[in-house]
Amino acid sequence: MKQFILRRVAQLALVFFSVTFLTFASLNLVGDPLFNIVGVISGIPDEQCEAVERGEMEDTQSSGLNLGDCALIAQAKAQNNLDKNVVERYGIWLSDMMRGDFGTSFVNGDEISDIVKERLPVTIRLIVLAQTVALGIAIPWGVASAYRANRGFDKASTIGSFGLLSIPNFALGVILLYFFTLRWQIFPSRYENDGWWSELKALTLPAFTLGLGLAATYQRLLRTDLITTLQDDFIHMARAKGMSDRHIMYRHALRPSMFSVITVFGVNTGALIGGALVVEQIFSIPGVGTELVEAVLRNDPPVVISLISVVAIGFVLINFFVDLMYGYLDPRVRTS
Amino acid sequence: MAEASAANTQLLVRDLTVRFPTTRGTVQALNGVTFDLARGASLGIVGESGSGKSVTAKTLMNLLPRTAEVSGDVIFEGEDVRRLAREGREHFWGVKMTMVFQDPMTSLNPVKKCGEQIAETLRYHLKRDKKTALAEAEDLLAQVGIPEPGKRVDQYPHELSGGLRQRVVIAMALACEPSLLIADEPTTAVDVTVQKHLLDLLDKLREDRGMSMILITHDLGVARGRCDEIAVMYAGRLVERSAPETLFSDSRHPYTDALLRSIPRIDQPSHTRLEPIPGRPPELINPPEQCAYAPRCRFAQPDCLESIPDISGVAGMHEFACFHPANTDRGREALAGNLAQGRTAAGLEISGAGASS
Repeated sequence: MKQFILRRVAQLALVFFSVTFLTFASLNLVGDPLFNIVGVISGIPDEQCEAVERGEMEDTQSSGLNLGDCALIAQAKAQNNLDKNVVERYGIWLSDMMRGDFGTSFVNGDEISDIVKERLPVTIRLIVLAQTVALGIAIPWGVASAYRANRGFDKASTIGSFGLLSIPNFALGVILLYFFTLRWQIFPSRYENDGWWSELKALTLPAFTLGLGLAATYQRLLRTDLITTLQDDFIHMARAKGMSDRHIMYRHALRPSMFSVITVFGVNTGALIGGALVVEQIFSIPGVGTELVEAVLRNDPPVVISLISVVAIGFVLINFFVDLMYGYLDPRVRTS
Repeated sequence: MAEASAANTQLLVRDLTVRFPTTRGTVQALNGVTFDLARGASLGIVGESGSGKSVTAKTLMNLLPRTAEVSGDVIFEGEDVRRLAREGREHFWGVKMTMVFQDPMTSLNPVKKCGEQIAETLRYHLKRDKKTALAEAEDLLAQVGIPEPGKRVDQYPHELSGGLRQRVVIAMALACEPSLLIADEPTTAVDVTVQKHLLDLLDKLREDRGMSMILITHDLGVARGRCDEIAVMYAGRLVERSAPETLFSDSRHPYTDALLRSIPRIDQPSHTRLEPIPGRPPELINPPEQCAYAPRCRFAQPDCLESIPDISGVAGMHEFACFHPANTDRGREALAGNLAQGRTAAGLEISGAGASS
């Protein structure tokens, strides 16, 4: 167990470093962060400023500030470490990050740690709710399907689940909004947070929008695994012990059939941290996904890199949890 | 088990027939199986795979797939078992009638502790609370001869050897003090060295608890000495039924005869060749209207290919289903004729080696 955790921690570190470094480096290859800080004067060629430094040229003052353009550029570069190379800047960012300092946005100067503190809890609550909806629907549904596989209910379920899988999020979200908000006015149309009850109500529709598709995926996986498990001898044994079908399905067959569901559950949870943006947009939820896309579009590297590292850490942690779940689901995994 | 002892009859099976519709046709898994079992007695059902012995057990235990078509009567302690199945009676199977399966490696739930699995039966049927049930489970483990039962209760099946696991399965089957235990090849999948221990254990438990037992096996030697009666099955039919001593010394059905010849015997000189039974078990889909064993039988005569022999004889003493039984003049005549021709009526080529005595 100790070794297992150590290995996981090493894995976490490896994933974290490679993801953040690749993101950091690629953000420096596309676009010019300097443009967001100083505006059009970032286009002044380096040679011109070098000439100014040597005193061969006069520093112009297109910015209207007291400083000359080249002095302004030099100041901005120094403040944001843009005068150093990528590896050095990555090192600086990393050490700041380790101390809890995420830096500030290049564009509006916001503290990034505030952005994360504000956005991440909302996203986490949305994911928890969506996954609860998904599992809550998928488990009884999958059990009912597998119980009488290839009979009427199962066949109808297959059509239903493929239907849910093929409806894109934005369509499902809009449909739900139309009925539950516009027609029946049960749920609010926008995210609001006046206490947990109002937030729960505001997150219900988005959770279903995400959860129904996930439920369909989980139902398919659970159904297949259950059908395999139901062939096992210990199921016959449980029947010979005189247990009711319901007891057998939930107490004997379900747990050994959860492997695929748990695996996909982990991957989906990780993906939703930064990837629920369509749903976040439709329901105006201030989550991580929306902020991430906005930061990319406004070319704001410090925000992007910080959010991506949050997603990467989340991914690894979730999968660590999933690995622990394997051991819970099947004791044979623990010893091997 | 004549009428005189009818009051003592625990299980009565009459004309039990099971069919499975498949895409290739109807499988005639069981054809008119009839037998009785006295309270506290043990019956051995012997046959090769596909002979219907497991289907018999599954029918009794209500474990057949929903598609199976069943007819005939199964009366257990005065109750119509098939009606109980239709009505969905609870606390009958697993309580009065229980079963031990063939492979202990797969018949225990891999994700539940052994103690939990035994306690589950007690909690489910007898509504024991968790603590009492676990204590009883430990007690049961001790009864089936598992060392350190207190430790085993908390172990998972994969932490135990095959022999121990089968003991756990037996403990589970005994938990609610059944009056009939069906053991479907209980020792086939375990080490030869533990087979005898397990069989002796089952025997002892049966005697101690006065329960009856149906021991299903493909090994005549296993049934011998442990059963009050042995029933031999072939192609979904009972072909011979008698006390073990009679069966071993004076078998009538050529299949039983051939089975006895195919097992090594200690009183034979060493290096005596065992006689395999020629051919393969018959197809159970649309079988022809003839003795199912005829194509593999050394005694086969033209009449064997025209109709199916009924099981007959002295009820409860020695019954068999054959027109030309072995160890009788009729049989000897038939075999001599076949040997002279070098082939049976069904076209099986035979030679003089190992002629029937």
